Amino acid sequence: MPRHIFRLILVILVCVVVGYGAKRFFTVNSFYEYGHYRGDSVADIASDKPKFKGVGYCASCHAKQTAEWSNGVHNSSDIGKIVKCEVCHGAGGERDVLGPFEASATGADHPNNLKMVVPTDTRKLCTFCHERMTGRPLQQRQIVVADHAGTQQCIVCHNPHSPKLNLTPVAEAAAQAGDPIVGKAKAAACAGCHGAEGVSRNLPGPSLAGQNAAYFAEALKAYGTGGRNNPMMSPAAQGMNAEDTGHLAAYFSGLKCEAAPASDAQAVSAGKAIASKCTACHGADGRAGNGAWPNLAGQSKDYLVNAIKAYKGGARNNGMMAGIVKDLNDSDAESVATYYASAACK
Amino acid sequence: MEDKEKLEGQQTGRREFLSCLGSALACSAAAAAAGAITTGTVATTAAEAAVTEVPPNPAIPGYDWTQHQWAFGVDATKCIGCLRCVEACKKENNVPQDAHHFRTWVERYVTLEGEETARVDSQADPVNIAASGSESEYRFADRYRDAKVELAFFVPKLCNHCTHPACVQVCPTGATYKTEDGVVVIDHTYCIGCQYCVQACPYGARYFNEETGVTDKCTWCYHRITKGLQPACVEVCPVGARIFGDRNDKQSAISQFIQNNRVSVLKPETGNAPNVFYIGIDKDVS
Repeated sequence: MPRHIFRLILVILVCVVVGYGAKRFFTVNSFYEYGHYRGDSVADIASDKPKFKGVGYCASCHAKQTAEWSNGVHNSSDIGKIVKCEVCHGAGGERDVLGPFEASATGADHPNNLKMVVPTDTRKLCTFCHERMTGRPLQQRQIVVADHAGTQQCIVCHNPHSPKLNLTPVAEAAAQAGDPIVGKAKAAACAGCHGAEGVSRNLPGPSLAGQNAAYFAEALKAYGTGGRNNPMMSPAAQGMNAEDTGHLAAYFSGLKCEAAPASDAQAVSAGKAIASKCTACHGADGRAGNGAWPNLAGQSKDYLVNAIKAYKGGARNNGMMAGIVKDLNDSDAESVATYYASAACK
Repeated sequence: MEDKEKLEGQQTGRREFLSCLGSALACSAAAAAAGAITTGTVATTAAEAAVTEVPPNPAIPGYDWTQHQWAFGVDATKCIGCLRCVEACKKENNVPQDAHHFRTWVERYVTLEGEETARVDSQADPVNIAASGSESEYRFADRYRDAKVELAFFVPKLCNHCTHPACVQVCPTGATYKTEDGVVVIDHTYCIGCQYCVQACPYGARYFNEETGVTDKCTWCYHRITKGLQPACVEVCPVGARIFGDRNDKQSAISQFIQNNRVSVLKPETGNAPNVFYIGIDKDVS
């Protein structure tokens, strides 16, 4: 064979050997394991850490909120409309990315080093889904925010965990069942301010007769834990356990309340007009449809005026009430208190 | 004379060379044929062996990819265009927080009275970015409030995880591939950022990440579905417009969705055979 042909073949052979060697050297072992790709990359991609944790993760600590939510319209699993916790509160986990797309199992999870979002601007949050919009299916509830709520935040009236008003009592409203007879014995200490039969009649405290048991228990608990502050009530409530509270709630809720005679017909009619703001939660006649909220019918007028002022001034803290009362002036507060004080109770 | 002899000598040499080359080619052809037969035999044997042996499975804890065939459904009649899916996807998958990179997105099709074709916009439209006030938050502007609208609806879009994916076919490095359980993914360590796949995809489902220098796309949240979770977009959809599941399980949500609805796929004429099934869309959607 001529020498130049031999050389040509030799060069080709060397190229083949070098090429094959280089391919063997540079191709990772798992390439071609399952196909024309790096087999290990499948497990790499699958090893990433999920950020969205699901309802079960939230429910393991936040049972109260989960119970509210699970009975409400934001969990309408029958029609497939389920607004899960992380839709509004953000993802419960946060995977750290160390480099470009480097799969990593590290990263903070709530509650360790990761705080969840508690949305404050609900006008913005809720309207992601509920703003009236061309193209949205008709079965989706939609509002023109300005017409529906003015400048008010949505949570003034709606509990975001169970936004439908007044129809389903929220689960937390269930107070511990108590014995009214035991409650009556314990209530002797309350008579000085709240009246012997729970009807205040110009005594310093509010009437308690006929109040919703769940609201009553929540209020006592709030005094005990510092959620509400009052020089008389706070020490009294701090000495009580949940059982005592239940007995008292059972006793007072079973008593007959008493409306004050209407003193000022003009104030009553003015107050009735203002009370349209209150009816969604406190009922058209001042009797709340939901046990978590207080009945107002027959309540002491002075107490109601003070309560409105306390919400306005910030002495009592409640997002919903603060939004409602901020537009009421002193004479409005007087009128609406007069109306509810004289409203017939059960 | 001398020249002539020389010429003859050369001619002889060429003839010899050609005949030599011819026989060499014949030999190699024969060898190749023999090789092909041998390989064919080996392949048949391997196939026979595979039936009896446990199929190979990547090292994913508690997951066997031969047991699943994933598919996705979109019910456009339910979509309210809230874009929670888009934000959740970005968060779950570290997609750049701007209005130009998306693994999934939502389009709005609006036909005005007297117009033949639909007007299409998505959350990346400047008007909609202005409505959200930020490139990292997404919201549709109610821009057709005062228009005479004949027809309007939202359509969520994502990678179709095609049975015959054009993007996989064009990848020069084997960086993108289709898994046994039906998901098209990218091995970012092998991607060289040539973006050939971005151009090959008829659905515009891939984007190039300028920061990392590689292409990225929807993986149906492969890290979630292999752990028994739903993809992030399905997890957060508040109206159940996105359906995901295993077609091997005849009772799964997706099998029932396909069985109980007359589903269609986008651009069937391209031959990619998508695995995202739509209901509630019309001719304008592609």
